[in-house]
Amino acid sequence: MTVLTRIREVAVVRRGNRSDRILFGTMLALSGLGLLMIYSATRNTGTFSMERQMIFVAAGLIIYLVSSNIDYREYRGIIPMISVIILILLFAVFLFDPVNEVNRWIPLGFFFLQPAEFAKVVVIIALASLLAPSMHEESPQRGVSWKKLGLALLIVAVPAVLIYKQPDLGTTLVFVFILLVLLFAAGATWRQMVTLIGAGVVSTVVVLRFGLLSDYQMDRIRCLVDAEVDPQDLCYQLGQSKRAIGSGQLLGKGLFQEGTLTHFEYVPEQETDFIFTAVGEQLGLLGGLLVLTAFAVIAWRLLVIAANSRDRFGALVAVGIAAMMMFHVFVNIGMTVGIMPVTGLPLPFLSQGGSFYMAMALALGIANSVWLLRTPVPSENQLI
Amino acid sequence: MKFAVRLSVVGIVFVMMFSVVGLRLWVIQVAEGPEIALAAAEQTWIQQSIAAPRGDIFDRNGVLLATSRVVPAVVVDRTFVQPEEREALVDRLSSILAIDRAALDDLYEKAGINGRFQVTTVSIEMAYRINENLDSLPGVEVAKVPERIYLTGPTLAHVMGHLGLPDAADLEENPDIDPSVRVGKLGVEKSYEEYLQGTAGQLEYRVRRGDIIDTRPSVDPVQGSSLTLTIDLELQDLTEMALEEAIALSNTVKDQDRAAGLEVFSETEHGAIVVLDAQTFEVLASASYPDFDPQRFVAGIDETTFSALNDSEAFNNLATNGLYPPASTFKAITYTVIEEENLPFPTGIEGIDAANRQVHCDGKLELPNLSDGSPQSKSDWYDPGNLGWLGIHSALEKSCNIFFWSAALGTYQAYRAPSPKETVIQDWSMELGYGTRTGVDLSTEAAGIVPTRELFEEWAEYQIENPDQPPRLDPSRLEIASPWLGGDLMDFAIGQGAFTATPLQVAVSYAALVNGGRVLEPRVVREITSADGQVTPVVAPLRRTVPISAQTRSDLLTDLNRVVTNGTARLAFSQFGPGLEKIGGKTGTGQSTAVRDNHAWFVGVAPIDDPKYVVVVLIDEGGSGGRIAAPVGRHILQYLMGNEPMPIVEGEDAD
Repeated sequence: MTVLTRIREVAVVRRGNRSDRILFGTMLALSGLGLLMIYSATRNTGTFSMERQMIFVAAGLIIYLVSSNIDYREYRGIIPMISVIILILLFAVFLFDPVNEVNRWIPLGFFFLQPAEFAKVVVIIALASLLAPSMHEESPQRGVSWKKLGLALLIVAVPAVLIYKQPDLGTTLVFVFILLVLLFAAGATWRQMVTLIGAGVVSTVVVLRFGLLSDYQMDRIRCLVDAEVDPQDLCYQLGQSKRAIGSGQLLGKGLFQEGTLTHFEYVPEQETDFIFTAVGEQLGLLGGLLVLTAFAVIAWRLLVIAANSRDRFGALVAVGIAAMMMFHVFVNIGMTVGIMPVTGLPLPFLSQGGSFYMAMALALGIANSVWLLRTPVPSENQLI
Repeated sequence: MKFAVRLSVVGIVFVMMFSVVGLRLWVIQVAEGPEIALAAAEQTWIQQSIAAPRGDIFDRNGVLLATSRVVPAVVVDRTFVQPEEREALVDRLSSILAIDRAALDDLYEKAGINGRFQVTTVSIEMAYRINENLDSLPGVEVAKVPERIYLTGPTLAHVMGHLGLPDAADLEENPDIDPSVRVGKLGVEKSYEEYLQGTAGQLEYRVRRGDIIDTRPSVDPVQGSSLTLTIDLELQDLTEMALEEAIALSNTVKDQDRAAGLEVFSETEHGAIVVLDAQTFEVLASASYPDFDPQRFVAGIDETTFSALNDSEAFNNLATNGLYPPASTFKAITYTVIEEENLPFPTGIEGIDAANRQVHCDGKLELPNLSDGSPQSKSDWYDPGNLGWLGIHSALEKSCNIFFWSAALGTYQAYRAPSPKETVIQDWSMELGYGTRTGVDLSTEAAGIVPTRELFEEWAEYQIENPDQPPRLDPSRLEIASPWLGGDLMDFAIGQGAFTATPLQVAVSYAALVNGGRVLEPRVVREITSADGQVTPVVAPLRRTVPISAQTRSDLLTDLNRVVTNGTARLAFSQFGPGLEKIGGKTGTGQSTAVRDNHAWFVGVAPIDDPKYVVVVLIDEGGSGGRIAAPVGRHILQYLMGNEPMPIVEGEDAD
């Protein structure tokens, strides 16, 4: 009985509000396109990549539905516990044998769990929880105090350093972007923002100058400037991807055509990080812009959700999710078209990969929960 | 700032990020799209080159000297080798073929992704063995490849040249060549590389996961053009045998001299012979000793053999690259200058009759009044004994050094810079081809040195500035006003001193002297015949015509005949047989350093009524020209004039 009571407490009281159908529809459309692209990129390999991804999509949809129906405010209370769990998992990846010299996964038998993907969602909730005025606060102050700013840095730094050690520079940068956007949305002053960004620029210069990046990371950055620098075929991937997308031209070569670079598997990782090359080559600029538009719709919906959230916490969660997804989109597509270094950030809903898909579905489910509960409580109105 | 405003700012940031990506997509897909699409379409095709057989090489009478045959070769195509199979494949293949594993691995690495490379040519038996094992050798195939074959072995090696894999210099010169296809490295194989190499064929196909799924029409290779040389193989054979016999003779004579207590410094190991057509400048025969077998380079020569050959100077074509003082053979040129320029003889010197242009040839020249006023005596280092008073004709016949010295001394005293005639003898020699490359159509050639005051002053300056470099001039020369002295011109007039020339340059100068002054660039190739049968004649280009009066020319030819009938080559030509009156010649004995034996020279001209052949014989440190080189010249001239060539035996010890 107590369990049922608890479920009733946690479950979203709909109050006549509808799910965000546009958000859900866009997510479904991208997932469908993703399956199609994964099939086109792997149909000769015999690896059943698309079939695996279908399972992940199904699991992701269940996660979306469940998380939509959990009152997002419940997370605020248990976020310290969730944070501890995710940190333990982030430590745990180092206990298992590295795959391709990288400690990123926890083997679960049926699939490899990537805790870093879920850590993004956890950090968003933790930051939103910190930066939104607590309901118990006596006199909620506007903006962000320097103390909170310091705490926010700490919240991001611990998982970011762990993930950087895997090593996964791309995901580390996602945390930095989420932090900046959330601090700004939460009302950080210009002085605080400039201080942070300044510190970021200085540390970037330090990292580049003093060789804190590994050789391959530096080479990947150099590839952007000068494709002739190619010590380990790193630029090859970038050049092939750019060539595949460019050759798609305006309307693309069509789906499943013989003789495309995608068909010949000329682009390494073309079903995961480089899935956009399959879109660009087969569907052309039109398909590429359609994908961009879909992500723009998601960004628009998430900002609308943020604007209509019943409280600041929900608003910041939605903004954080938007920041995370848009950074992924920008860096991933930017990488395939040769304006961003190869960092290994996948493209939401399109790239093959279980943990990532489920984490993205979870994020949109939480955002939908914010939308479902949007009717403002009069006492909280003043805070928005 | 209101929360809504902050959200808008975040939205604007997103819009900016999307715009950047969208714009970039437009640039590569639309603006640069067509160009990139073209490159992408080509990229999926793999090009395989099919080697073209090199052109054949014939002698002037159509005798085949070099051709191409088809041999089996083991080829590895990496397109069909999965990465995990590589180690096992390299192991297996290196053990079957008994070749170095590391070398094979290196070839594999260099071929690159989807690359194709030839491991080695193999015997028929090995080809069968590989074919039977193809199942366990992924990516391996036995292909038929063209291979060079030299039908005459080491004969004519220096003119033919040899092949080798292109080095950095070859690739820089011609970046389009396939680095795995052998190219000419020497001789006509190198100088006519662009004609001989042919055009590689091409096969294009597309591969997915180890299967060929698509092919384009193939282009057949086109064999290279064939060359018809100016060389007469029969004469070449005779010449090469004569050269070897001469070197053997020289060593026999040295043994005798040693036994007689005379000083001998070394064994004779090098020599060269050139037979040049005096009218067309076609090289009819060109021999250089020691030689090598070009066939050994076809499959790749090992380091030890190469070094041994290289150390013995086997690759050095001494006919075009050997530099020697031309010695008394040069007197024919000085002779012509004396006659044409009416060079003055010195007055007031005992033994020189300036008025009658006669000299008392007794092996010694007393010089009382040199520029610095001190008396000097110059002895003929090759003392012929007392020959009495000689004019120019007898002086050439007897190779009298005193006579030509006197003419040079008279020139030195009469014409001093800034008079342009100071270098009158050098100018003539340069007009006749000394001091510059002859322009022969072979890959390498030396230019030689014609010494002048200007050159000596340059050397002196260099020597003072670079005291650590090996000196060219005696240090005492650096202390006087000009390092160039009368003695230098006197030495030059008899082909000695700092003067050096190649046997081919000597042949060119004689050909010009006897053909009326025409200097052409010698040629070893007569015709180029393309694969479709088009014939392009190769004509020796005319460099210049040196005006020589008919009188001088005919006098010279007469006097050259006196050399073989009555002069320094008389003994060597005593058994010439009928037609000796049509032969001209000149011996030479090149003074080397004090601790080396003399170089033996002989130049023959025939027939003197209408000169066709110039024969130049040089035996490096071979001894006396009359004794060693003249008998070789006689042997070859006998053949050329239709006489039975008599054995090469020792001639008279004469300059």
